[in-house]
Amino acid sequence: MKLEIDNILINDIRLSDETKIEKGVLYVNPAELRAQLLEDPHIRDVAIDIARPGESVRIIPVKDVIEPRVKIEGPGGVFPGMVSKVTTVGSGITRVLKGAAVVTAGRVAGFQEGIIDMAGVGAAYTPFSQTCNLVLDFSPAEGLSAHEYERSLRMAGLKAAAALGEAGKDAEPDEVVVYESLDLMEGAKQFPDLPRVGYVLMLQSQGLLHDTYVYGVDMKQSLTTLLHPTEAMDGAIVSGNCVSACDKNTTYHHQNNPVIQDLFEAHGKTLNFAAMILTNENVYLADKERSSDWAAKLAEYLALDGLIITQEGFGNPDTDLVMNCRKIEATGIPTVLITNEYAGRDGTSQSLADADPAADAVISAGNANQLVTLPKMDKIIGSQAYVDRLAGGFADNVLADGSIVVELQAVTGSTNELGFGCLSAR
Amino acid sequence: MPVVHICTVTPISMTVGANRIVPAVAIPHPLGNPALPPEEEKQVRRKILTTALEALSTEVELQTIFPVK
Repeated sequence: MKLEIDNILINDIRLSDETKIEKGVLYVNPAELRAQLLEDPHIRDVAIDIARPGESVRIIPVKDVIEPRVKIEGPGGVFPGMVSKVTTVGSGITRVLKGAAVVTAGRVAGFQEGIIDMAGVGAAYTPFSQTCNLVLDFSPAEGLSAHEYERSLRMAGLKAAAALGEAGKDAEPDEVVVYESLDLMEGAKQFPDLPRVGYVLMLQSQGLLHDTYVYGVDMKQSLTTLLHPTEAMDGAIVSGNCVSACDKNTTYHHQNNPVIQDLFEAHGKTLNFAAMILTNENVYLADKERSSDWAAKLAEYLALDGLIITQEGFGNPDTDLVMNCRKIEATGIPTVLITNEYAGRDGTSQSLADADPAADAVISAGNANQLVTLPKMDKIIGSQAYVDRLAGGFADNVLADGSIVVELQAVTGSTNELGFGCLSAR
Repeated sequence: MPVVHICTVTPISMTVGANRIVPAVAIPHPLGNPALPPEEEKQVRRKILTTALEALSTEVELQTIFPVK
C-alpha cells in the first residue's frame, strides 16, 4: 500500500469571500462554512476566528485539532466512515494543508479539555502554537446531552477540515513524500537481515466521552486488529476524546503520528517496519485481558523482533500498557514503551498506576503534574470561565495579574505519548 | 485487621500490594452492571459482596484474587 502525501505549505489563514489557497495563504469564506456547520440542529451557533503563531491569543477549552486534507487520487476520501464513505484509505494521493489546523472549542462537552496559547510560556508546550488555526467556537442547542454534543463537535471539526481541504485541489504542492508498506511476504523478503519492528498503537476507548473511532467504529467495540500504517496516516483514526488535554491524541496527532513517520524513516536502514497493531483501552478487566492477549498473539503471529507501544491517556490505561508489555515480552519479543508521567507536582511520586519488571525500556513524554504559569493573553477565543475545572486546573488558579496557573495536564498536546512534542524526563 | 479490595483492575490492586482482592465489574460501575435488568444486577451485586465477605474470613499467605463465582 503506497501513499503519496502532497504538502501545500500554509503560512497564514485569512477570512475572505472565497475559500481558496493563494501563495501559501488559506482564504476561508466564513459564511459558507458557518452555514454548512449549522446544518446540524445540535449546534446553535458557531463563531469562526483565526489564531496565528506568536499572537497573544488563548484558545480555551479546546476539544480537537484536525489537519485539513483532501484526497485527490486513489480509493476513499477524508475521514472514512465519518465524513466520507467507509472505503479503505492509505493509498493514492492525499493533499495536506500543512501548517493549517482546525481547532474545535467552545462550551465544554466534558470537563477534560485543553488550552492552546499562541504566545508566551504556554506556546512552548503545545505544538498547535506553531500552526495557523481556524478556530470554531461552538454554542450547543439547549438541552443537549454531553454525548450528543461531543458527537456534533467531533463531526463539525471533521467536516470543517474536509471543507477547507477541498481548496487543496486547485493548489500546487510544495513537497511530496511517499510512504509504502508491502504485504507480509514481500515485506519480509525486502530486508531479510534487518530486525522486524512493529508498532502497537493503543487507543483511548473508555467510554464516558473517552472514545476513538477507526473507520467510524468505536474502538471499544473492536478486538485488537491490524492496520496498514498508511491507513492511520490517511485519516482512518479520529479522536472523540474529551480526556486530559496533555496526553490525548487529537485527530491531528493521528494524521501525523511521529512513531509511524520515524519507523518509515528508519525502514530499510536500521530496521524493517513490518506491521502495525491497533488496540484499545477498555474499562472491563476482561476486555483488558483479551485485548492484551491479542496484541501479544498478533505480535508473535507476525514474527516480530521488537515492538514500540504507545499509550493514550493515563490511570487505568497504565494497566493496559503494562499488560501489553508483559505479555508481549513473555513471547520473547522486546518492547519499548512511550508514556507520560503523573509523578506529582514535585515529580517524586510513582509515575504510573501499574508497573512490571518487564517494562525495562520506557520513554517518558514528561510529567503532566508539573505546574506552569501562563501569562494573560490579549484575546481569549472561547471562554476562560472553565479554567479552574479543566483537568489540571484547580480552584482560584487565576492570579491577580490575570495569569493562570495550571498543571501541564491542561495544555493540549503537552505530554503527548506519541512523542509529538519536546518534553521528556530522565 | 483483614481488608478486602474490590477492584476492577486487579493488576493495579496487585501492584499496590492488596492481600485479598475481589474483581469488580467495570471501572465506571464497579459494583453493578447497568446493562442488566434490575433483578439480574442484584444477583451480580450479591455475588460480589458474598465473595468479598468470604475473602475477608479466609486466611491468606500470599496476595490472593478471589474470583466471583
